[in-house]
Amino acid sequence: MKLSNLKDLQTKALAAALNVKGREVLVERLAELGLPSKKSEAYRYFDAESLFAKEYKTLSYLPKTIDEGEKIVIVDGVVASAPKGLRIYYEACEQIDLEHFDPMYYLGHLLSPHVIKIEIDGDVELDIEHHFTQSDALISYRIVLYNQSNRHATLYEDFVAEDIENTLVLYGYDMHIARDSTLNVVKLQTMQDKQYNMIASNRVNVAKQANVMLKSFDLGGDQGLQMLKVDLDERAHVEAGHLLYLNEESKRGIVSQIIHKGEYSTSKQEAKNILDGHARGIFDALIRVEHSAKYTKAEQNSKAILLNEKAYMVAKPQLEIYIDELEASHGATTGQLDEKQLFYLQSRGISYVEARKMLVIAFANTLIETVKDSRHQERIKEAFESVFYTNH
Amino acid sequence: MSTSIMDIQNLQAKIGDKAILKGLNLQLEPGKVHAIMGPNGAGKSTLSKALVGHYDVEITGGDIVYKGKSIKEMEPEERALEGIFLSFQHPVEIPGVNNAYFLRTALNAKRKHEGKEELNAAEFLRLMRDHLEMLGMKSDMISRSLNEGFSGGEKKRNEILQMLILEPEVIILDEIDSGLDIDALRAVSEGINKMKDGKRSFLVITHYSRILDYIEPDYIHVLKDGKIIKTAGPELVAELEENGYDAIEEA
Ligand SMILES: Nc1ncnc2c1ncn2[C@@H]1O[C@H](COP(=O)(O)OP(=O)(O)OP(=O)(O)O)[C@@H](O)[C@H]1O
Ligand SMILES: [Mg+2]
Repeated sequence: MKLSNLKDLQTKALAAALNVKGREVLVERLAELGLPSKKSEAYRYFDAESLFAKEYKTLSYLPKTIDEGEKIVIVDGVVASAPKGLRIYYEACEQIDLEHFDPMYYLGHLLSPHVIKIEIDGDVELDIEHHFTQSDALISYRIVLYNQSNRHATLYEDFVAEDIENTLVLYGYDMHIARDSTLNVVKLQTMQDKQYNMIASNRVNVAKQANVMLKSFDLGGDQGLQMLKVDLDERAHVEAGHLLYLNEESKRGIVSQIIHKGEYSTSKQEAKNILDGHARGIFDALIRVEHSAKYTKAEQNSKAILLNEKAYMVAKPQLEIYIDELEASHGATTGQLDEKQLFYLQSRGISYVEARKMLVIAFANTLIETVKDSRHQERIKEAFESVFYTNH
Repeated sequence: MSTSIMDIQNLQAKIGDKAILKGLNLQLEPGKVHAIMGPNGAGKSTLSKALVGHYDVEITGGDIVYKGKSIKEMEPEERALEGIFLSFQHPVEIPGVNNAYFLRTALNAKRKHEGKEELNAAEFLRLMRDHLEMLGMKSDMISRSLNEGFSGGEKKRNEILQMLILEPEVIILDEIDSGLDIDALRAVSEGINKMKDGKRSFLVITHYSRILDYIEPDYIHVLKDGKIIKTAGPELVAELEENGYDAIEEA
């Protein structure tokens, strides 16, 4: 399958090309938004076209019996194992957002008539491991996640690529965060050696008085884009943190819309970007406060450090506000390491090279340390240092 | 003078386009405490920065000879490894760098340079314990990020802690006493006095006589308009306090 064949198709032709019946609304949305290209608002800084120009083999997603295991393991889009008692099944997705800004959200749903539905029970910690084992493949799947009111759950997400090359992964979540609950999602993803590229398209719906924490730690090379739309109901809160450490020719980052719909909703979004080699980091993030969202608080910030003169950061924090009764701040900086700090370390006998490393790691740590679980915090630190040290 | 540990010869330096040090001469003698006093903006901090190779300061003439060798061209970290230490007037905050980790990295860099074995975390903490107690520092201060959110006094204590650990040979203290309460001043002075071993040399930049009561300087130098304009014994302090710097004439 070649995704570029879907370019510029009108609704009917698109439905035929994707071989879907019914689901017209989704096809229409995809046709309206158009397949991502340099001209698409959301994909302007990401070279989607070159990924779509390749021929990929398509996989079948026949459900297998799910083994009992400590983690949820999803192999090439099919659930292989899950903890005992976890409610996980394949179903048609009932609640699809018809106002998502990302065409790939609709393409993902159209390619996955059945999604992996997970209902999180109670106060749990879950590990999800995504495995990719096929070369030159288009791996496409979606996960729908529900949690329970008044409960506090945490999800740790990891990615494992076997010895593969040139695969494209399209995946993403529809998360429904129940009233008065907390969901904590920590994603760690190292991409390297042209094994696979990824577009993740997420939608997070946060009910009244619920809290969601979304932390992503994206390391290494290759192409990856995280699309995120968050809707906040009354007194709902989102805290999003994104660490990027990129090298080589990598293009990765986040394109997001956080939409305040309910009164007293709050959002805090923080990106820390470290760019090496010829890499390009993307932080294209909109916060929209609607008429209905009085007394909102919104905070957004991106900081980037360039370690190479060829590295580049696209930082576009944007506020779109329709009311006066709110507190909002946003900003973005891009620069080198702080020379005062560098000098301080050197003046204590620490070499320039070592001092630079300490400051880069420190910059990353300020975000990594927002992951409170010490085992996972340590794991992310190690992952970061191992990618960083192979380049320094 | 060949007996000096550091010989600053006719030093001229600028920051940006502005000439700050204008032919400054000063010899630091081993085992002695040299105090430098002088009006705001005279160039005291600039001198201390020049000695440790700070990027702000460009040396345009003269020389700095340390243990018989010019260090003018040396990198800051080499100067530190060779035993020169500056306690900064305004220590910088470094979020995300753990204080203990920083201190151990610095100490191990020095030990490695001296051909000694590096200390592991446990050995290091043992070494720290006594220092912390003497300086009246809470142990959580070394598990926090370096200087981040430290009060003025805590930052200065942390500078002294670094001095105690690194055991340098020329110790430059730029206004170590400013902003300290009485207890902190006493603790910091005690730390300094503990380092006196008859060989180390101290350069103490200050505006106040109080710290000098504790650490008993051997010489008082007056730095004005980029030069040392007078050198005398400790008795000069009282005279300066009485008459101010305007009364001092270049010798
Ligand atoms: N980074 C800089 N850029 C421009 N001018 C500077 C810089 N640093 C210092 N100066 C100037 O150099 C001169 C000497 O400053 P210095 O800090 O050495 O004075 P000082 O004697 O330490 O004063 P104080 O007693 O106030 O600490 C001052 O006029 C100051 O404004
Ligand atoms: Mg000064």
